[in-house]
Amino acid sequence: MPNVIMYTTPTCGYCKLAKEFFKEHNVEVTEKDVTVDLEAREYMIQKSGQLGVPVIEVGDVMVLGFDKNKLSQLLNIQQ
Amino acid sequence: MEKEASNSFDFISVGSGAAGLAAAVYAGRYRMKTAVFGDSFGGYTSIAGEIENYPGYISVDGFDLMLTMKKQAENLGAAIIDQKITSVKGEPGNFVVTDQNGKEYTAKTIMIATGMEHKTLGLPNEKELTSKGVHYCTTCDAPLYKDKVIAIVGGGDAAVKGANLSAEYAKKIFLIVRSNKIKAEPINYEQMKKLGDKVEILFETQVLQIEGAQKFEKVVLSKPIADSPDLPLDGLFIEIGHFPRTEIAQSLDIILDEKGFIQTDAFMRTNKEGIFAAGDVINLFGSFKQDITSAAMGAVAATSAYEYLKMQ
Repeated sequence: MPNVIMYTTPTCGYCKLAKEFFKEHNVEVTEKDVTVDLEAREYMIQKSGQLGVPVIEVGDVMVLGFDKNKLSQLLNIQQ
Repeated sequence: MEKEASNSFDFISVGSGAAGLAAAVYAGRYRMKTAVFGDSFGGYTSIAGEIENYPGYISVDGFDLMLTMKKQAENLGAAIIDQKITSVKGEPGNFVVTDQNGKEYTAKTIMIATGMEHKTLGLPNEKELTSKGVHYCTTCDAPLYKDKVIAIVGGGDAAVKGANLSAEYAKKIFLIVRSNKIKAEPINYEQMKKLGDKVEILFETQVLQIEGAQKFEKVVLSKPIADSPDLPLDGLFIEIGHFPRTEIAQSLDIILDEKGFIQTDAFMRTNKEGIFAAGDVINLFGSFKQDITSAAMGAVAATSAYEYLKMQ
């Protein structure tokens, strides 16, 4: 299973949806709060080219927003 | 955990917001075999942040409220299925519902609770600069603007709540309001007024242009501010309301009202036998669209579906 990192903010509802999705499918995720982790924030902006959350890094692929279909594809999850 | 579901149901909700989940609770209690479909669990409630006006909860995060409804519905036997429904066809008593992967389900009754989609300003550059300084979700993205200057377009509850949330982070917030009044809940407006000069309301003002190259840089306003129509900003949040999602309803020739919402009677019945509707996709209470009204409508729709099936 590729490494999964999710860039979030504390009040982001779509981030919660994503977390619930990962929990249901037993996917381990590292969360980085970009309101306090400025290095993670800079990295997210540089790599994704935008300033919206969630951004979910699966291996070295950046998924913008909670794109369930793309995430399922990357993580081999049967929907 | 998504319940393993067979393909035939007594009642299917197309939509998994407050209306769909509340309907599933009642449908479950009526012992109707029930499924709730939606690709964005909890609808707008899930991303609404703190909810303080749902009776029974002094304050609850919208997503957590939806999770509780989901659990209650699942305890009563409902299947909550995380898939988008792309078509509904068939006859009363034998509807065929297809999800985004092409899988088919049958249902004796259908409830359409597809909710609404956020409105955009419809301006050039708006799409290109989305998430590059232009946003539609204050709860998601306002925390990214710590010590920055932002504007929120809108004068309703979402805009004012957005200002209240943003004030924890931004150093200055402009509220760009088309009319001459704020239409938010008084309690939210009072909270915003306590923020003083941090929030500056620009009444009778519209955004004429959104500008920026690689990222959003400024708006051009219909009324000048400090002698200039240009307002440089770090971020722009658009909270100007929503329009109903009625593609499925229209494909079934369900009658819409003059504002484009699904038309129902007081029992949530549409013009099509066996098809009901509930939640923000109908306009029963006008602009008063809340979790409590959606949940109530969902419960009524489930009850109507139950009564309908008893007569078959």
